[in-house]
Order: sequence, then C-alpha cells, then structure tokens
Amino acid sequence: MTAEAPPAVAVDKSQDSAPVSGVRAWLSRHPLAAYALRRFGLYLIELWGALTIAFFFFRLMPGDPIQTLIQTLQQNYIYNAQASAEIIARYKHEFGLDGNLLTQYVVYMQKLVLHGDLGPSLINYPTPAQTVILRALPWTIGLLGISSVLAWILGVVIGAIAGWRRGKVGSAIATNLSIALSHVPYFFVALILVYIFSYSMGLLPARSAYDSNIDPGISLAFIGSVLKYGLLPGLSIVVIGTFSWILSTRMLMVPILGEDYLVYAEAKGLKSWRILTRYALRNCYLPQITAFGISLGFIFNGNVLVEQLFNYPGLGTTLVTAIQQLDFNTILGVTDMAIFSVLTAVLLLDLLLPLLDPRVKYWK
Amino acid sequence: MRILTAVLRTIRNSRRLATGLVILGVLILLALFSPLIAKAIGGGQDPIELAAYDKWLVPGPGHLLGTDQFGRDVFAMVVKALAVSLQIGAIAGVISTVVGVIVAFVAGYKGGWIDGILSTFTGILLVIPTFPLLIALSAYAKNVSLFQVGVMISIFAWPFAAKTIRSQVLSLRTRPYVDLARVSKARDLEIITTELLPNLLPFIGVGFASSALGAIFGLVGLEIIGLGPGGVIDLGQIIYSAISTGALTLGAWPMFVVPVGLLTLLFAALNMVNIGLEEVYNPRLRGVAGE
Repeated sequence: MTAEAPPAVAVDKSQDSAPVSGVRAWLSRHPLAAYALRRFGLYLIELWGALTIAFFFFRLMPGDPIQTLIQTLQQNYIYNAQASAEIIARYKHEFGLDGNLLTQYVVYMQKLVLHGDLGPSLINYPTPAQTVILRALPWTIGLLGISSVLAWILGVVIGAIAGWRRGKVGSAIATNLSIALSHVPYFFVALILVYIFSYSMGLLPARSAYDSNIDPGISLAFIGSVLKYGLLPGLSIVVIGTFSWILSTRMLMVPILGEDYLVYAEAKGLKSWRILTRYALRNCYLPQITAFGISLGFIFNGNVLVEQLFNYPGLGTTLVTAIQQLDFNTILGVTDMAIFSVLTAVLLLDLLLPLLDPRVKYWK
Repeated sequence: MRILTAVLRTIRNSRRLATGLVILGVLILLALFSPLIAKAIGGGQDPIELAAYDKWLVPGPGHLLGTDQFGRDVFAMVVKALAVSLQIGAIAGVISTVVGVIVAFVAGYKGGWIDGILSTFTGILLVIPTFPLLIALSAYAKNVSLFQVGVMISIFAWPFAAKTIRSQVLSLRTRPYVDLARVSKARDLEIITTELLPNLLPFIGVGFASSALGAIFGLVGLEIIGLGPGGVIDLGQIIYSAISTGALTLGAWPMFVVPVGLLTLLFAALNMVNIGLEEVYNPRLRGVAGE
C-alpha cells in the first residue's frame, strides 16, 4: 500500500491540503464547505485505495494472458509460426505487462486517470477494453437501473404502510413474507421464473436481450422486443429487492410511530393518510436514499449471476467471459467501474443529504 | 456465565429468534446425520458413488427424490451437500466474525488515528465488488479443500461484520457504566470482556449470521455459473448440474427444487435470527399484537 500515488490524485490532494491561515479561518466560518472538502478528500483516498487493491489482486493471480492470446491467434490461423520473443515483448507492452509490478501499476494508473484508457481487451483484441465495457454498459444500466429503482419505490411504499398499519393481517403477511424472502439470492427467483414462464408455458424468452431477427434501432418492434426479453431478468431483481426494502423501511418506520409530533398531528385531526405521507414517511425515505446508494455495489454482485443466467449482454456476462479468458484489462475495467460508481453515488448522497435533511450532522 | 445467561434471556424474549434457531437446528441435525442417512438409503453400499443405480430414476419409494445423470441417489446427495454448505457458512462465519470483532474493538475502543486508518481500510474493502474477485480466485482454485474455500470466502466477508460491530462499540463506549469501570481502574481488556462483550452479543450474532449467509450464497453463486472450486459438492453444485443436464425436462424436478427449497429455508432461518436479534436490542422495533 506504500506505492506512490498517481499524479492526478496528487494534484487534487495539494488543493485541499496546504493550510493557509486565511483558508483555515474561512473554513471554520463555513462548516458545510469544510465538510464537503474533507468528504471529497476521503472519497479520493477511498477511490485510490480500492483501485489499487483491485489492480494488485488481479495482477497477482497466476495465469499468462499473452500465451492465451497467442494460442487463440494460432488456432484462428492468424499466424502459424512459433511466436518470437519480439512478438511476445510487443504484446506485453501493448497490454501493459512489461516492467516490474510497480512500473506496471504506475503506467496503468496514469493511463486510467489521465486518459480513461484501460488498455486493449484480450477477447476482442485489438478493441480497447473501455469500448467493450461501454458496449455492455447500457444493457446493465437499463436492466439494473430500472429494476432497482422500481424495487426501491415499491419497497419503501409497502414497507411504510406495513409499519403504519401494524397488527393488521395484510401488514403481517407482508412483513413475514419479507423476512422469509428478502435474503434469497436474485438468481433463485430467476431460475424459478424461467422454469415457469419459459419451460412450462413457453411464454417468455429466457436467453439474450432482444429478438435476433429484429434489427437493433429505434423502432417499436425493437423496443417491444427489448422489453419482452428484459421482463424475466428484471422481474427477478424487482421481486427480491422489493422484499428487502419493505423490511428495512418497516424497521425505520416502527420506532417513529411513538414520536410526539405524530401524536400531535393526530390530535390536530389530520387524516391518517396525510400523517403517513407528510410526517412519518418524510423521516423514513431519506436514510433509505443513502442505503440505496450503498446497495448499488451489492446489486451489482447479484446482477452478474442474473445476466449470466439469461445470457444478457451486459457487464455481468462480459465479466464472466473475461475471467474465463484471462482478459485482465476488461476484468479490472468492470471492477473499477463498479468501484467508481458506488463511491461516487455515496459521495453525492453524502454531499446532498445535509441540504435535504437538517438532522444530518456534517460538522462532527 | 454472565454471557450464557444473557444468551438464554435473549432467546426466551423473542419468538422470531427462537423460530429461526429451531429451523437452523433441524437443518444442522439433518447435516450431522448425513452419513447415517446415506447408509440407510444405500443399504450397505454408497448411494452417491457413480452408477450406484440406474440413471434418471423418477422419485418413488426406493428413491425418495429419484436419481441423477450418474445414477446417484438425489436424496443422499442433497443431504450431504447441505452439510457442505453449512460447513462453509460456519467456517467463513467464524473467521469473519473473529476478524471483524477484533478490528471493530481496536478501532472503536481506541479511536483516534488507529480508528481512522482501520475504518477507511474497511470502507475501501466494502466498495470493491467481491464477486469478480471471488470468480477470479476460484478460477485458479482447483481441487481445494472445503476449509480453504471457507477461508477464501471469508476474506471478503469480514469488513461488513466489522462495520456493524464498530458502530455499536462507538455508542457503547460512552455509556456511564463503561466510564465507571474506567474510573475504577479496570484494564482495557477487562472492560471489553465484562462490560462490552455481553452487550454486543446480539450484534456479533448478526455479524456471524450475515457472514455465514454471504458465504453460503457466494459459493452457491459461483457453482451456478459453473465456476465453483473443484472437488466441493455443495447445494449450488447440484442446482448447476440440474440446470446443465436439463433435469427439469426429464422429470427429475427434485434435483432442482429441493436444493433451492433447502437454501431458501436456510436463508429465511438466518434472516429470522438476524431480525430477532435486532428486535432484542432495539425493543422499539417489536411490533404490537404479536406482529
């Protein structure tokens, strides 16, 4: 962990250190700005740390990607001579595998931070890894984004009502179902849905993202096909996700119910629905927004499997294929991408929440 | 002794916790008796060796759940795999919890720059998506022992436990009785074992249950995409072979349904333990009217 920090980070660090007396005085007058700066500094440290750990983890894995590439080329009759040392050295340079580990690390970080360049992908050589990832990204964002937002909304609403109407039959059913099912992995539901709707009834497709007979493009037929093919994988994420949000929202809701301000609202004669939405729910959904940001990372973990099961052309499937083929640049790229999005989401939430929620203390 | 009474009191106070523990207990018993069950089914020979019986026998009196593509008895296989899954959960759960508790106590109790470094490091590990790393690890882990798989998975599970427990240590640290113990010249270790640990037990329990759950789920996930470590047959492995051989279309539904059902039951039980424990230490969460 004592490796030298990449230049870009170092530049950023110099901005928020260097305590000049004037700056310090200004910061003490503006606690929010001080908090934001400190939070941003922590963000940079975490980002650098996570990217570094991921880099070394994958570099220390055994396996020789260059040999794999050359074998593939030979199998495809691209060339059938023995690979010379010169060619191997050339490929090593292209894939950023020459020099010792530290040199590789510095070069990798420089390329990543300054140019957003991950190096060429092995599976799709010579396409750069970032292109491969960008191709898969819309599918994952579409599937994961829509499903998880939908699950969050459903879960918070149902969970709030379940907490609100405690002791009623419907609420008890919702709560106990959630307890039983909220930790069931996504792909279980996916498997069961596939069995029911694809094998038994033959209603919905269980592979890929759209009908291969339809040309991709902005047409009604294509969009309809995408929706139809995305229904099962999406549904499996929504079902389980909803249950776990119901549970956590209820956990937030129940302690609130005894608060004085709710009793007061009731004494004022407000309608119970209005109390729920205006008074109780407002104190529940903000922490749940933060939780949503944090859960993104975990959703990604489960999503890898769902995509793989449905052969969906998103990041998850790309990742599994890349690992099977030792395509390090793509593996690292997907991992870096996930790290970056989770950290950035949490950072944005941490910076926005004090503005939305006066109870959040930022001057600790 | 104090810790034991605390545990018993906790269980008596929560029906949900008790239910979860009973289901877990039944599953664990089933796993413990797996050799005996295998013997009873095989009647002297091993029911899960290759070609012990005919292939793809449908469920019936001879074979409660039928046989698989190699003529192995599915019922015996499932029970044995359940034992494997539970062992993985236990190994990873214990390792993660011990590491998590140590990190949490050092960070939360000592505070200051040690806390800063440890918490930042835990935070960093939490945002790295574990699944790609696990897939990569297992791609090179052919013929590993069950214990090694457990260790492999717990590498990624401890930060979560550490985070949960640390936040509690922080809130307990400032309680009056801890101050009192400090004023009366009790040593750090003494305060930790006599004052903090009994009050933290529910959280340590939650940490353990979550890590165990994560570990079992992690391995099942690896197996289902066919990337599990070789030589370890857990419930995920059976599900994978059910999918890849098309067992469902051959009428061998138990091979798929039973492992999925068992795992769901296991997750539900661990979840009940978790929620039961949370309700114990936060009485305000307990619903009224036996909800």
